[in-house]
Amino acid sequence: MKKRVISLVMASMMMASAIVGCGSNAGSEPAAPADNANKTEAVDAAIESAETKVEESGFSYTGEGPISEDGGTIKILAQTSNYSNVDITKAPIVLKVFEEAGVDPDWQLLDYNSYEDAITPMLSAGNIDADIIKIPDNDPNQIWIKSGMFVALDEYFDYMPNFTKWLSENPVQKAELTAEDGHIYYVAGVNVAHDYQPVLMYNQVWLDKAGMQAPENLDDFVELLRYFKENDMNDNGDKNDEIPMSIMSDFLPYMFGPAFGLDLVSGFQADENGKVTYAAADSENYRKYLEFLNGLYKEGLLEVEFTSLDRDKVIERISNDLTGVAFDYSWAMSMMYSNVLPYYDGTEKTAFVGVAPLSGEHKGFYVGRNFLSGMFGVSSKSSQIELACKFLDYSMSEHCQDYYQWGIEGESYIVNADGKREYTEQGKDNDWLQQFGINPAFVFPAQQSVEATDILVADWHAKINADQRQYVVDPWPMIYATSDESDTINMYLEDIQTNVDENTTAFITGTKDIATEFDGYIAGLEALNLPELVNIRQQQYDRYLKALSN
Amino acid sequence: MSQGNKKKSWKQLLYRDRFLLMMIIPVVIYYLVFCYLPMTGIVMAFNQYQVGSGFAGVYTSKWVGFKWFKQFFGSIYLGRLVRNTFLLQFYSLIFGFPIPILFAIAVTQVRSKRARKAIQVSTYLPYFISTVVVCGMINNFLSPSGGIINQLLNKIGIESINFMNLPQWFRPIYVISGSWQSFGFNSIIFVAAIMGISPDLYEAMDVDGANRRQVIWHLVLPSIRPTIILLLIMSLGTMMSVGFEKVYLLYNTAVYETADVIQTYVYRQGIQSSNYSYATAVGLFNSVINFVIVFVANKISRKVTDTAIW
Repeated sequence: MKKRVISLVMASMMMASAIVGCGSNAGSEPAAPADNANKTEAVDAAIESAETKVEESGFSYTGEGPISEDGGTIKILAQTSNYSNVDITKAPIVLKVFEEAGVDPDWQLLDYNSYEDAITPMLSAGNIDADIIKIPDNDPNQIWIKSGMFVALDEYFDYMPNFTKWLSENPVQKAELTAEDGHIYYVAGVNVAHDYQPVLMYNQVWLDKAGMQAPENLDDFVELLRYFKENDMNDNGDKNDEIPMSIMSDFLPYMFGPAFGLDLVSGFQADENGKVTYAAADSENYRKYLEFLNGLYKEGLLEVEFTSLDRDKVIERISNDLTGVAFDYSWAMSMMYSNVLPYYDGTEKTAFVGVAPLSGEHKGFYVGRNFLSGMFGVSSKSSQIELACKFLDYSMSEHCQDYYQWGIEGESYIVNADGKREYTEQGKDNDWLQQFGINPAFVFPAQQSVEATDILVADWHAKINADQRQYVVDPWPMIYATSDESDTINMYLEDIQTNVDENTTAFITGTKDIATEFDGYIAGLEALNLPELVNIRQQQYDRYLKALSN
Repeated sequence: MSQGNKKKSWKQLLYRDRFLLMMIIPVVIYYLVFCYLPMTGIVMAFNQYQVGSGFAGVYTSKWVGFKWFKQFFGSIYLGRLVRNTFLLQFYSLIFGFPIPILFAIAVTQVRSKRARKAIQVSTYLPYFISTVVVCGMINNFLSPSGGIINQLLNKIGIESINFMNLPQWFRPIYVISGSWQSFGFNSIIFVAAIMGISPDLYEAMDVDGANRRQVIWHLVLPSIRPTIILLLIMSLGTMMSVGFEKVYLLYNTAVYETADVIQTYVYRQGIQSSNYSYATAVGLFNSVINFVIVFVANKISRKVTDTAIW
């Protein structure tokens, strides 16, 4: 059960174009323009001048399959499915894409869980024999772009009608994908960035027993935790086996940071004036955040083992009715947590339900995701760059996105009398759907869909998701670093992150005393050249605002 | 005969020993390919490796001199990393090195051959358990909620201790578990050395009326002294080479203060952050310290005991 489901948040919907901007200041005046703002003129010109190439035989690729008259084999280096029992290379949806494209795959798939660790040295060594490569991250520091191992896709736009159309329709993503040198190197997958995001959840039955509403602020929240701790919430006669909340440590910043005005998830954040700061170096609010968590820890409301708590343990507790509060990706709500509760009857009344974020001195919010993720590039060492570009283009076409989001008509979904799609009985079985290859973001630039996800989850869950959309703000935007910037970032960021991670844990657990050692921690960050990094992020953010205003 | 050798040219010598030389070729190739050739990669510590430039890039990337060393020496983590790396190995050596010797002496004193074998095999076994499994066991045993150690502590009225999250516990956990895992296996060479002592000497001691303690002190220990010195110097050579996997699997942000070692830092910088040149410089720094330690240890040993590796 453990790693299942991430891909259930499925595809469609390019709501990307509708949602732009960064946090609360998207509409604010752009700060002073940076000299080296990434310009999209070259990409725009390439889109403008792109025209369908007619091959000598008279065959031309217009964005539909087949992509080649003579077939061929495309070598793809990507990830295995995150479901260990799914062989993505045999999934009908994936096979269908290749069948229609008229080419055969030659897979090199690396394990999903260790993909970043495995592919990074391979890319660094530069000796990869593949036509299409899924890079391990969004390449924010342009490490792979600068290595020269990927072709500038805009030089092959004649072979990429679907991608050029998508770029034209999504100017913000086009700007985000445009590198420092004015070229575009990757075709990206698209997330549902404001839906089904990490959310605070309560055991509704426990809440009702306590006679309380879902708390909206930190004080009420702490009161509720105390109540859960002191009472026999699961009616088993033992008042001591209740664990008030079960939160994996990675989610603590999501859950409590906003109440203190901090976006600790992104790390860097911009205020309403466009001024960039590092959240974990906020000497006032971060201190309060740590004091709050330290208080929870000392009182036993945040468990001793919070750093090693994992999803399996949380599920185990919920299935034994031992815990009242959880925080996780929204999909877990009905698909992983509620359904293991002993008394869940399929309704909201007996489920783990998502609620509004907690507020403190600051109004709470949930941190969303960037729209772009899952980047695919074409290797400059490929002997068939045009064919690889065509396949990448075809695999991101709307036609294929439909497969990724819904599957194949008659098998995973049907169109009902009202003309609306609905999943078949088989399609409602998540295991089967995964085997079928739904949302194959591991191997293709798939785009997620709110609509398809709404149908897949419980009705009450879809409604809660819709209610919560209002609380979700954009994270730090995807902005490429310039060469100089990436050198500095690479040099300093790792040490800073290490410092923050270990001090945060030490302050929460009381190993370090906030009253006497917090100032030293802030000074330590400065000694690690944080001001220089903040300065770079400020320049990047200014560039981003400028690109938006263009 | 030596007169005859002097007259032979090196070609004749090569021809004479051709079969012996052919036998050594695979070993020479192994060391060239897997040890000496990669060693040239340390040049990366002095340049800015261009990611994606492949093997050639190791030698052709932009030269930056001592930039990475300066950066590391200026890092606030330098002292901590060196201290943690050194202390973990130092404690492992102090507590881990004598145990196999004592165990070997003890086990060779067991009269029953069958009992001796049983003891030896049962103590070798932990060595063959994978590090991942050992770390899993440590985590489970020491868990504050349900771990057997904490349950025992609770029974005698002591509150649970969150061993894995307290910096002061990392070193004892690392050293004790390491000693437990390896003392049986490490004792093999000492057992062999003790078994190699001539029975005549034992008999002579017996005739002289020596008791068991005197036999151990005046015969066994002096006889295995060269082995002890050799292994000690070799252990000193890895004084700054902590086993990466075990630290990586046991540590977390809460115990970085005592657990973060040069090897884990190199991993984070090199593999996770793609700062290959910086990571190489840190690794090279580590190797230089190792070399100096083993060199000094060898010198001291030669002076003090007349026993040395070279």
